[in-house]
Amino acid sequence: MSSKPQALGSTGPMRAFAANSKKVSTELIEINESLLQFNKFVTEYYKQLAETWNDAQKKVNLKAPEVPQDVEQIDAFKRIWIDIFDNDFTELFDSKKFGENYGKLVSKELELTKHWNNITNVILQSVNLPSKEEIDEVYKELHSLKKRVTKLEIETKKKKEMKKNEK
Amino acid sequence: MKSETAIDPKIMEEIIKFNKNVINAPSHVAAPDEIVLEVTPHDVVQEMDKTRLLHYKPLTDKQHKTPLLISYALINRYHILDIQPEKSWVRNLVQQGFDVYMLDWGSPTAMDKYLDFDDYVNGYLDGAVEFIKNESSVEKISLQGYCTGATLATAYTTLHPESVKNYIATAPVIDGWRDTTVISNLAKNMDVDKMVETIGNMPPEFMYYCFSVLKPFEQGIEKYVKFFKNIDNKKYVDNFLRVEKWLSDTPPIPGELFKQWIKDIYQDNLLIQNKMYVNNSHIDLKKIDMPIFTQVAVGDHLVSPECSMPLHYAVGSEDKTLRMYPTGHVGMIASSLSQKKVLPELGKWLLERS
Repeated sequence: MSSKPQALGSTGPMRAFAANSKKVSTELIEINESLLQFNKFVTEYYKQLAETWNDAQKKVNLKAPEVPQDVEQIDAFKRIWIDIFDNDFTELFDSKKFGENYGKLVSKELELTKHWNNITNVILQSVNLPSKEEIDEVYKELHSLKKRVTKLEIETKKKKEMKKNEK
Repeated sequence: MKSETAIDPKIMEEIIKFNKNVINAPSHVAAPDEIVLEVTPHDVVQEMDKTRLLHYKPLTDKQHKTPLLISYALINRYHILDIQPEKSWVRNLVQQGFDVYMLDWGSPTAMDKYLDFDDYVNGYLDGAVEFIKNESSVEKISLQGYCTGATLATAYTTLHPESVKNYIATAPVIDGWRDTTVISNLAKNMDVDKMVETIGNMPPEFMYYCFSVLKPFEQGIEKYVKFFKNIDNKKYVDNFLRVEKWLSDTPPIPGELFKQWIKDIYQDNLLIQNKMYVNNSHIDLKKIDMPIFTQVAVGDHLVSPECSMPLHYAVGSEDKTLRMYPTGHVGMIASSLSQKKVLPELGKWLLERS
């Protein structure tokens, strides 16, 4: 039996959590850094949308300056508005600047998710539950086993057929 | 002071009518679970993991000898090919006397994240082909691939040409660098390694975002305005709801498969350059030497014609046909144009080779 007093709490979740608490603090600091980057890209994302909206609206104003007065004019105005907005936004979504910024935005969002996963793993381990990595290992093993079983089934089937043909 | 702006009474009438339609909508609209998307009778003849092989029941006295297997896309589910009797791709082919099978990829869960191209091509697709060959007592079948399902079917056809009598590629995703769509722009800039490592499978929410940036105002506003304007038109409402239900049912894509698809097709463009490998097997498009029919939609904003057409020129087949249709990605398979033009042409081509 251990004589160290801290060993008394060795099976409790709080000890396991305390042992990894430094990791949680590190993750929280890194989350803030990722969040700063994320905000930069999300601001650029909305800036691009707002600029495109303004430009499209200006084009609509030029093409249809009069306020529509009847149902036919409203329909015509709506058609112009939708066509111009769809064209301009599709041009934006097709552009290199949008693609690059959106890619970086999603990447930062994934980094935030990853930090959150790491914090959750510390909590899971403190209550003796498997972490994401450990579950992933099980999935990988299952996948590999399924492949092996399918391969063996096909080989067995082929052998059976060969034997049947020999007879 | 009297206002000088005279409002056309018809405008007020329209607004009141539209509001009435919105209020009355719930009494005209079925709940999503009341809408059954599978319309053509079929049996589930094989199940492998979460995939199902559907076999459609004949609607003619005699059937053509060579069965047809449809490899549907990985995005959304196969129901769009059988969305309603008058616009059903499947029913039309069955009515033309073809023996039709459909591979339903199912809905992968977190545990399926390691499923890759090899599992889909040499596992599920090959398993379905072998089953059909055995059931129908034929050496070869006809294979049709749609969208990303055609990418898988193309890889399959190069690796197992001995099993494919005829190959039909409908809006196939082949040449990622030539693709001019928004989807391709997003895919080219995606950190797919990080996505798969962090999330596992490609989440449906990401796909919904991709849909939302395709013609956002036509699809996000006008479509619903039209719906409420036509709320009394039972046929229109039924068709609208069926398509909406189909659109909202996007399964996740297994992580490893998604990773290879994005990298090999959109980022490195390996397939068209004959540099792609599936489980160490080389995908050489020249090995496609059977009759091939490539169907392309001119207005396709999901897979641009420039992305699909290179397949026609890259294959080794001598008997090859390329058809372009004045419609969109979904219009090519589920519209009155597909019933009147696309399917009769496909049926004629297939019949001559079945």
